[in-house]
Amino acid sequence: MAGAAPRVRYLAGFCCPLGGLAAGKPRVLCHEAEVFLSTGSELVYVYDQDGGLLTAAFRFPDQVWHLELLAPRRLLYALCARRGLYCLSLDHPGRSRSTSQDDRDSEDGDQPSPVIPVDPDACILPDAALCAFTLLDSVLVTLVQGPTRWKMQLFEQPCPGEDPRPGGQIGEVELSSYTPPAGVPGKPAAPHFLPVLCCVSPSGSRVPHDLLGGSGGFTLEDALFGLLFGADATLLQSPVVLCGLPDGQLCCVILKALVTSRSAPGDPNALVKILHHLEEPVIFIGALKTEPQAAEAAENFLPDEDVHCDCLVALGHHGRMLAIKASWDESGKLVPELREYCLPGPMLCAACGGGGRVYHSTPSDLCVVDLSRGSTLLGPEQPEEGPGGLPPMLCPASLNICSVVSLSASPRTHEGGTKLLALSAKGRLMTCSLDLDSEMPGPARMTTESAGRKIKELLSGIGNISERVSFLKKAVDQRNKALTSLNEAMNVSCALLSSGTGPRPISCTTSTTWSRLQTQDVLMATCVLENSSNFSLDQGWTLCIQVLTSSCALDLDSACSAITYTIPVDQLGPGARREVTLPLGPGENGGLDLPVTVSCTLFYSLREVVGGALAPSDSEDPFLDECPSDVLPEQEGVCLPLSRHTVDMLQCLRFPGLAPPHTRAPSPLGPTRDPVATFLETCREPGSQPAGPASLRAEYLPPSVASIKVSAELLRAALKDGHSGVPLCCATLQWLLAENAAVDVVKARALSSIQGVAPDGADVHLIVREVAMTDLCPAGPIQAVEIQVESSSLADICRAHHAIVGRMQTMVTEQAAQGSSAPDLRVQYLRQIHANHETLLREVQTLRDRLCMEDEASSCATAQRLLQVYRQLRHPSLILL
Amino acid sequence: MSRQTTSVGSSCLDLWREKNDRLVRQAEVAQNSGLTLRRQHLAQDALEGLRGLLHSLQGLPAAIPVLPLELTVTCNFIILRASLAQGFTEDQAQDIQRSLERVLETQEQWGPRLEQGLRELWDSVLRASCLLPELLSALHRLAGLQAALWLSADRLGDLALLLETLNGSQSGASKDLLLLLKTWSPPAEELDAPLTLQDAQGLKDVLLTAFAYRQGLQELITGNPDKALSSLHEAASGLCPRPVLVQVYTALGSCHRKMGNPQRALLYLVAALKEGSAWGPPLLEASRLYQQLGDTTAELESLELLVEALNVPCSSKAPQFLIEVELLLPPPDLASPLHCGTQSQTKHILASRCLQTGRAGDAAEHYLDLLALLLDSSEPRFSPPPSPPGPCMPEVFLEAAVALIQAGRAQDALTLCEELLSRTSSLLPKMSRLWEDARKGTKELPYCPLWVSATHLLQGQAWVQLGAQKVAISEFSRCLELLFRATPEEKEKGAAFNCEQGCKSDVALQQLRAAALISRGLEWVASGQDTKALQDFLLSVQMCPGNRDTYFHLLQTLKRLDRRDEASALWWRLEAQTKGPHEDAMWSLPLYLESYLSWIRPSDRDALLEEFRTSLPKSCDL
Repeated sequence: MAGAAPRVRYLAGFCCPLGGLAAGKPRVLCHEAEVFLSTGSELVYVYDQDGGLLTAAFRFPDQVWHLELLAPRRLLYALCARRGLYCLSLDHPGRSRSTSQDDRDSEDGDQPSPVIPVDPDACILPDAALCAFTLLDSVLVTLVQGPTRWKMQLFEQPCPGEDPRPGGQIGEVELSSYTPPAGVPGKPAAPHFLPVLCCVSPSGSRVPHDLLGGSGGFTLEDALFGLLFGADATLLQSPVVLCGLPDGQLCCVILKALVTSRSAPGDPNALVKILHHLEEPVIFIGALKTEPQAAEAAENFLPDEDVHCDCLVALGHHGRMLAIKASWDESGKLVPELREYCLPGPMLCAACGGGGRVYHSTPSDLCVVDLSRGSTLLGPEQPEEGPGGLPPMLCPASLNICSVVSLSASPRTHEGGTKLLALSAKGRLMTCSLDLDSEMPGPARMTTESAGRKIKELLSGIGNISERVSFLKKAVDQRNKALTSLNEAMNVSCALLSSGTGPRPISCTTSTTWSRLQTQDVLMATCVLENSSNFSLDQGWTLCIQVLTSSCALDLDSACSAITYTIPVDQLGPGARREVTLPLGPGENGGLDLPVTVSCTLFYSLREVVGGALAPSDSEDPFLDECPSDVLPEQEGVCLPLSRHTVDMLQCLRFPGLAPPHTRAPSPLGPTRDPVATFLETCREPGSQPAGPASLRAEYLPPSVASIKVSAELLRAALKDGHSGVPLCCATLQWLLAENAAVDVVKARALSSIQGVAPDGADVHLIVREVAMTDLCPAGPIQAVEIQVESSSLADICRAHHAIVGRMQTMVTEQAAQGSSAPDLRVQYLRQIHANHETLLREVQTLRDRLCMEDEASSCATAQRLLQVYRQLRHPSLILL
Repeated sequence: MSRQTTSVGSSCLDLWREKNDRLVRQAEVAQNSGLTLRRQHLAQDALEGLRGLLHSLQGLPAAIPVLPLELTVTCNFIILRASLAQGFTEDQAQDIQRSLERVLETQEQWGPRLEQGLRELWDSVLRASCLLPELLSALHRLAGLQAALWLSADRLGDLALLLETLNGSQSGASKDLLLLLKTWSPPAEELDAPLTLQDAQGLKDVLLTAFAYRQGLQELITGNPDKALSSLHEAASGLCPRPVLVQVYTALGSCHRKMGNPQRALLYLVAALKEGSAWGPPLLEASRLYQQLGDTTAELESLELLVEALNVPCSSKAPQFLIEVELLLPPPDLASPLHCGTQSQTKHILASRCLQTGRAGDAAEHYLDLLALLLDSSEPRFSPPPSPPGPCMPEVFLEAAVALIQAGRAQDALTLCEELLSRTSSLLPKMSRLWEDARKGTKELPYCPLWVSATHLLQGQAWVQLGAQKVAISEFSRCLELLFRATPEEKEKGAAFNCEQGCKSDVALQQLRAAALISRGLEWVASGQDTKALQDFLLSVQMCPGNRDTYFHLLQTLKRLDRRDEASALWWRLEAQTKGPHEDAMWSLPLYLESYLSWIRPSDRDALLEEFRTSLPKSCDL
């Protein structure tokens, strides 16, 4: 195995359009070490197999549909779509090189050879309707798409050394009618299938054989030739042009019978004979030698002479294959043996190899069928000297190479195997060395040496196969795993989405705590993901936590500080829980924009689970290769929202005054304080003046106050459970700080007012007291609870106020749902308050407008006024009944 | 505002017009360019330019000030396209239709109705055109193209209606297209009109000539030479390019020959030859004329000239970028008297005529030339064989062998026959096995083409000439064996042997059998084995009762054997037959067989009959 030469060798890659090359138009020709290649685009490449590099690239004005090489004269003929036939002399490519080097050859960056634009003068036969051509020694045969019929034309070829332009037209005949492809009138659409032309000569013909050796010609054994084309062609030893049309017709024209002058085009009925109708587009015509003995003889005695084929083969696009052989019936009469086979299609291209083998390529595989006599099991019934019959059925043997769009077989290599040149749909040129004799059971006699070699090959074959098997197995396992995972994910999604309002089988709860990281206190959010369902969350699931600060939530324009944390959930079985802690702030700038919203979602990534199973992990494997990545859905996964939690001021307040003395921190550290300042502060004598603007403001500015009044009845109704026996004020404070870590202390000490510190270090004072409101209700004073927030920092007041109002809101909505009735109110009074507020709001509006326009000096006064108005707005404070 | 748009529109119009004029000039430059490829490129270029211009013109809503230019561009486009492609296609009809629809778009009362055929469209447009005098000349030009298109597509009914409408005459007044064409008078082109490749008057002249010639030829083929004459005269008097004139003169010659005016026919043929270029048709016609006159020497001479003439590749001059007469002529017809075939076909006619007229030496030479022409692949150009309706290739070989034997070149004939058999050996049943099987009598002989048997027959005859009786007899026997075992009714399977139509008739098989039997009988007679000869002759009479020659051979042999009763009985039968419907005139046998039969015809037929006539009454009296 170690010493085995690689069966497939990649030579070069060529650019190909998205989606790969289409079959039908790319061509590969091989002459000695040179490979001529067109991919169906405007470019024709010349590749040197010995040197392993591109030696030239020609750019034609339009797509190249067909290539033929006149090897002895080193002329390359190319059919250019909608232009006509071009002829390039390979010896003087520079002749057609224009002065300016074309710089657009960016397909291969390191390509050393220049792209040579083909000179318009190289067009030897301008004809926009030209669809196919083939070359014979002295004749150029073309097929032109007429308005309603195919037209075959013959042109005289000049002698060697002359100008390669064809001489006069020496013959013309119309073939069968065809259905023109739908296209814009006047601009015919490019045909999907091109007709196939090839030249057949009788064996006795004196046409030099090397000229027929190209892609389009072969020599047929006399018996088959006479049988197919008649006595006249045999007697005249005339070459015959075989023509396979896209409608499935296989017809032939005896060249010598084509009449010469334009004034007398031949009578189609007399000149064109329809051999067969494949009923699907003909994509290939070829011929084979199927008689093994004769083949050996040819090998031994006429090494350089090309073989006289004894079997004609035509292949249709959908896999129908026709094989014709000559045979003698029991009375000794020559009869044609004609068989149709059905091979799995669609066929991309085909080639005839030695030993009666036909190679054909489908999108999924390159297969070989054996038409030779040795492969049939009919041996005993056959008469001895008669030619063997065609096999009754064909079994394609796979060669495990997929999507070959053009093939060319070099008949024999030194070892007796066949060498194929193939161009894959991805534009890769490769050689396939096939030693089929060892792979397929044949009548070959074995010597010790060959047995050894054969065993070696078998072993290497087994190695190859086992490698392939293990690879395929791996792929299957991967897919199975992906499917299981998908199924689980489906179950989880269903469970989550169908749970409705009840407790969710998978939940995520969020709580916040302060903790000290290095020199700074940080508010940490702890999310606990709990799986109480029957399914487990496996690979592919991710917990996404999005932290949205209030400035983001309010300001839609800013794409700022929404931070998303994604935490892969690696295996969370039923009943298991996972805790995730993340810092909420304060951030670098020291601020903590409360409230902060923490939303948790579960995300299932399809790409991670399915993509791995579908992606081509090994490019050598054709089956997985062909699976494009675009089968993945547009959406990359499944998103399941779990919970949404808002962290507000009340949860973040710290109460250093409540802490027991031994645990009491020197002082709650504000955000990023200068360590020096901290040091100075701690060293400062008690009684000395605190420095810093905040302390100054605290010193000189009266603290801002905001208050909310709630009717005691409402609060009592809301707090009746869990707070019985506790004064309403204390119960209210406990309720407000329910989510704060200090709630236990508050409860234990039955506090009704509390002094706390906001995250930015400002003092916040919460005072709850019972008041009676007299002006509201005609029935008498209403018992109410006033919640008052005092702080030196206006921002903190706002945040605390906002948090309290938020809680009130939820409480009121809950109470409203339970249907408590509001007491009788003095509507007039309320109206009054409302009207006052409206005038104040208008004033705020004008003040703010003025603030924008005024200069600094006057704006200061305006700001003062604005502050006052805000204060007035808060009096009388919000009342909830 | 509105003035502004008109000025923009008119400047655009000028621009388009300039482009049209430039492209027309470019086509004219291409026309005069000597280099074929450059010419082709330039013309293609101009065509694309015109196509683009037409696209931009038709991209805007139809407007009367622009329409004359648009119609002119359409005409130029169609003319250039048709002359480049050397023919009209459906595309051109669509181009015309689109133009007509756009003319109608401007006329609300005629508003474009879908599903209108071209004929109805023309009707509407021409009726509307009285309101649009500025379009008239362009419309006539387009109508000329439509007429050319319909003429080439042989839609003469539509053509007649169109011309009637153009002439403004009542429909159905006259169905004579020639007259209608003559009376059509397209309006004169304005001097400042955009350039055109071909004007309406030019189109009219071309149409007139083409139609007259088509009609004349049609009449000639269908056998109305006198009707053909007038049409052809019309064509000859019109504007006629030289190659067409040659054909017209030749057709006139053919007419006169058929009407029995050889003198006038010759005059036209001479005139045709004087016109030069294409000598083929007049020479062929001349050979027919001489054959009719019985002047074999002149006939063969003209055929020889014809062979020479066909050897010269006809230098067809590049077609003009115009609608020409040639473009409107019907596709060449094999039945046409002007179809002169190819060199090898003519060579075959020449050789076979030599053989038929008894010039065996010449015939042999011509046949050998023909075979060399056909088989020599070193010749740079292919020469096609005499395609049907002529004989198939094996028959040409056989005719050549007959000519060689007749010319006394038996050895050459043998070589030729060998060549024929060896070249087709792969097609023949496996002979060696056949003979064995035949000897064992176990299996049927497979069908073998008649010409294989005929080859053996000719080989026998060649051996006869060389004096090798035994070999000759064995060849005749082999021929007979093949002939008797095979029945031509056996249907062929597959695609083989496509050319035996001529030789497959029963008559030919019978005659071939008779010929082989007589030949062998004659050899028996020559070697003195009269009884064996008698057997063969008797069999021959049975096989082919229609062949009178067999009777004579039988009669002679009976006489020689002195079997008088049988001889007299046979004579009576022969006499009765003579009084009946005469001879085998209806047979059409292959030429080689006919020649062969003439060899084995008893030379002293009449003397023998006379002898019997005088001797028999005595026996009757007995």
